[in-house]
Amino acid sequence: MQYALLIYEDEAIYGPGKKGSAIQEIVSRHMTFNRELGARRVGGAGLSATASATTIRTKGGKQSVHDGPYAESKEQLGGFYLIEAKDLDEAIAIAKKVPVLQDGSIEVRPVLGPG
Amino acid sequence: MSGAALEGVFREASGRIVGALAARFRDLALAEDAFSEACARALKDWPAREVPADPAAWLYQVAVHAALDGLRRRQTHARFESQLSAEFDAQAAPEDDYTVIPDERLRLIFICCHPAVSDDARAALTLRLVCGLSTLEIARTFLVSETTMAQRLTRAKNKIADAGIPFELPAAQFWPERLDSVLATIEIAYSKAHEDAAGSGPHAHFAAEMLELTRTLVQLLPDEAEAAALAAMVRFAEARRPARIDGAGLMVPLSEQDPQCWQRSLIDEANGYLNRAAAVDSNSARVIQAQIHAAWCSRHTREAPPPWPQVLALYDALLYRRDDPVVRLNRVVAVAEVHGVQTALSQVESMDRELLRDFAPYHAVRADLLRRAGRREAAQRAYDEALATISSQAERQWLTRQRDLNLAPDS
Repeated sequence: MQYALLIYEDEAIYGPGKKGSAIQEIVSRHMTFNRELGARRVGGAGLSATASATTIRTKGGKQSVHDGPYAESKEQLGGFYLIEAKDLDEAIAIAKKVPVLQDGSIEVRPVLGPG
Repeated sequence: MSGAALEGVFREASGRIVGALAARFRDLALAEDAFSEACARALKDWPAREVPADPAAWLYQVAVHAALDGLRRRQTHARFESQLSAEFDAQAAPEDDYTVIPDERLRLIFICCHPAVSDDARAALTLRLVCGLSTLEIARTFLVSETTMAQRLTRAKNKIADAGIPFELPAAQFWPERLDSVLATIEIAYSKAHEDAAGSGPHAHFAAEMLELTRTLVQLLPDEAEAAALAAMVRFAEARRPARIDGAGLMVPLSEQDPQCWQRSLIDEANGYLNRAAAVDSNSARVIQAQIHAAWCSRHTREAPPPWPQVLALYDALLYRRDDPVVRLNRVVAVAEVHGVQTALSQVESMDRELLRDFAPYHAVRADLLRRAGRREAAQRAYDEALATISSQAERQWLTRQRDLNLAPDS
């Protein structure tokens, strides 16, 4: 099966624009993790801060473009992995190793369809 | 065979057959539907003819074929599974021996109690699939409507299928976390049975299911101290049930119960499990909890001194392992007996009131200590708070009497 691992952290700890030493540290930890993942990594990326987000909303068939992320929350989606795992237990084992700088959550979601 | 007898046969066969089907077809919903279909067939066929010599084998065989039919029906929608179908067809050869149902109940229990299943559904799902209780029975136990419970069960089963929860026993690195989830789930299920002191309410035969389930678990996991300790605890608690309520329907606190009313055979059984658990790991939290039960159950008459010092020492040990408000509160009760009411009261007052707001035992213990310390008005308010959070009839009546005693001039 394929699973998406969605990484939620308080982006404030990485400073405005996600520049500086904190982001360098976490990126280098992700590089190490990537090597460990090897062939089980199908895809993934880190995301720019939510200040750069734009949301396109469809309501009643009409589309409108808005500044900002879809939802305001204390922890924001900051990146994701797409992985190949035998089952949820294996996906959880991998998710537990996804680096976070301080507090954070990794949401494990199966990818729809025959994976 | 009467309707009730048939129900008994279905219930007994349920966990084994659903477990075997789920392990074979890797599909919980298919397994459950197939078993229901087999039971429906039995209800129709058995009264008309003779009941088969081995009813479980009959049900299993019919259920396997029902599951295969279910799979074939699905495949008309999804042709890519045809290869799978050939494989399953081969598995259902006529020479299959249906009298030996593979025991996959442990896998089934671990699936039902997976931490990825919402915690309010884990106990319900275990009771449904492993113990074979009906949705209505479980709904009554959890004090929700049958519709709500049916939705909760369906959501949990969908989660198991969609999230890819494996039909395998957990790997070594997950074992402690997963086993704890299983044991905690059984504890929740049992506490539902135990709430009803008389054992005559909606949970009447529920306690028997817990005895059976914990026995099965120890059989399947002979080397796990915590599993044996849980089996011991359930038995110690069940043994005392006849003494938990007096002639007027009032709850009787443990220290005032008449040990001669306790069921000795269950206590003996419990001690057997406890010895087994302590031999493996005498320091685990559940083993200590079982030892506390054992200390109480070692009394043979009402005149024997209550084992408060021993109980306090055990709670001290338990607190070191598992520091939570429930343990602290139970420890305070022992502190009051060993070190006096004032010491106990100051410990209760230092606990987090907001966190314990809806926890009836907190208010009840606090009320009792306030009453004994002579602080009648504060005690009165605490009794009211306890009564506002409690649902069991016997406990309500007992608390009401305590509250009224508090008001009486000579108390």
